Amino acid sequence: MNVRALSDVVVRIENLNKSFDGRLVLDGVSLNVRNQKIVAIIGQSGGGKTTLLRCLNLLERPDHGLLEVAGETIFKGSSMECRDLAKLRQSVGMVFQRFNLFPHLTAVENVMLAQLRAGVPEKDALERAVQLLRRVGLAHRALAYPEQMSGGEQQRVAIARALALKPSVLLFDEPTSSLDPESTAEVLRVMRELAADGMTMVLVTHELPFARDVADWVVFVDGGKIVEQGAPADVLGKPQELRTRTFLASYAAGQ
Amino acid sequence: MIAELFQVPWSDYAPALLDGLERTVLYTIASFAGAAALGLALALLRVSRHRALRIPAAIYTEVFKNIPLLAIIFVTYFGLASVGLKLGVFSAGCVSLIVFYAAYLSEIFRSAIAGVHAGQQEASEALGLGKVSTFAYVVFPQALRSALPGTNTMLVDLLKSTSLLVTISAAELMSEGRLITSATFRALEVYLVIAAIYFVLCYPLSQGLLWLERKIRAGVPLTPRRRRRLKAARAMLEGASA
Repeated sequence: MNVRALSDVVVRIENLNKSFDGRLVLDGVSLNVRNQKIVAIIGQSGGGKTTLLRCLNLLERPDHGLLEVAGETIFKGSSMECRDLAKLRQSVGMVFQRFNLFPHLTAVENVMLAQLRAGVPEKDALERAVQLLRRVGLAHRALAYPEQMSGGEQQRVAIARALALKPSVLLFDEPTSSLDPESTAEVLRVMRELAADGMTMVLVTHELPFARDVADWVVFVDGGKIVEQGAPADVLGKPQELRTRTFLASYAAGQ
Repeated sequence: MIAELFQVPWSDYAPALLDGLERTVLYTIASFAGAAALGLALALLRVSRHRALRIPAAIYTEVFKNIPLLAIIFVTYFGLASVGLKLGVFSAGCVSLIVFYAAYLSEIFRSAIAGVHAGQQEASEALGLGKVSTFAYVVFPQALRSALPGTNTMLVDLLKSTSLLVTISAAELMSEGRLITSATFRALEVYLVIAAIYFVLCYPLSQGLLWLERKIRAGVPLTPRRRRRLKAARAMLEGASA
């Protein structure tokens, strides 16, 4: 067996099911995310995209299926296999739609907190935080509080915060949905740079042009199932399924 | 007129008043610390997911919010003694103030904790912080900010309520006032002076707490550790730009 091919998969999802109050939200979803690849999940609201993303760091507990993240089996059958939830979450960074920065801490402290709790020495945590803020172009805002920053700045700090523990994959949950066009452009620029640096990313997004441009793989989710997946040019350019075509047509009409 | 009003030889009573003042401050500190701890515990029970924990805490709060403090003091000191549970004056006084103010503080703390956005807890857990760290470093500091105004009001209110302990001769300010009155028969003068002492205690306290609220709201770091951290960050940023 080829060991390299195995370790190449950062996220393995097999036959994942999840229901809320008897309503099936994820219905037998299987998906692999390879190292340094960017997977964009698209689809209507309520289709299960966000739930799928939240299962990957066990913010949401699946009903059954298999989940492997960064070489560890975290969920199998219908039970948690994750021995160390903190360690899993340190290897999976997450960026939220509403940023969720800690409002009582400055930008630099937001990026330091998880490092300090994970035992990184104060000086190293500070150095890394400043370096990450520089990377997202916000070193000059390091001592600002979230409420003093624009939405785009907050989301860039949130990206720096998610990168603080050197995760092996970054999850983005509609990172630009609450931003104005200018802020969206700032955030997409940072994400594009991360992509160029080889960061593995899974993003739930409504930014189809961005998905087409940056993603290696596009997954269309509807009614809790993966309806269609493939290269962006195929899924977005030559969709095979009727539901995908309907979604893309309504998206185009909304633009 | 003024000379007529003030005829009590106050210098003779200064030591007694100082003792009373000290008692009042002791009652306030001990009771407030106890009430804050019990109030926080009750608040945590009330935001629990389990009904079996929420309901008793809610019942406690409703019971003690709807009973006069004086009734609690009498039950604790005279009532319990009559069935053989004899508490000292200091213990009875503190217990009464603690159980009463814990009910109010738990309401303030509960709404402050519930008011911290759910996304905060989620973001913290997504960063690998456990439940305890999430509470200590993310939820609690934010809840503290919003609980501060109400908590401060309660602290000043508690200080004033220690005067009710005169009913069990607790040797605090009000009790000293009563003793001085019975020795001098100058009720108006004595109680005006006692009232003035309460004012002198409470006014700076409430103003100081308002000042503290404003500092915290403005993001001024209060702990030495945080001050050092921000100073180091500033130094590193300036070093880089120079």
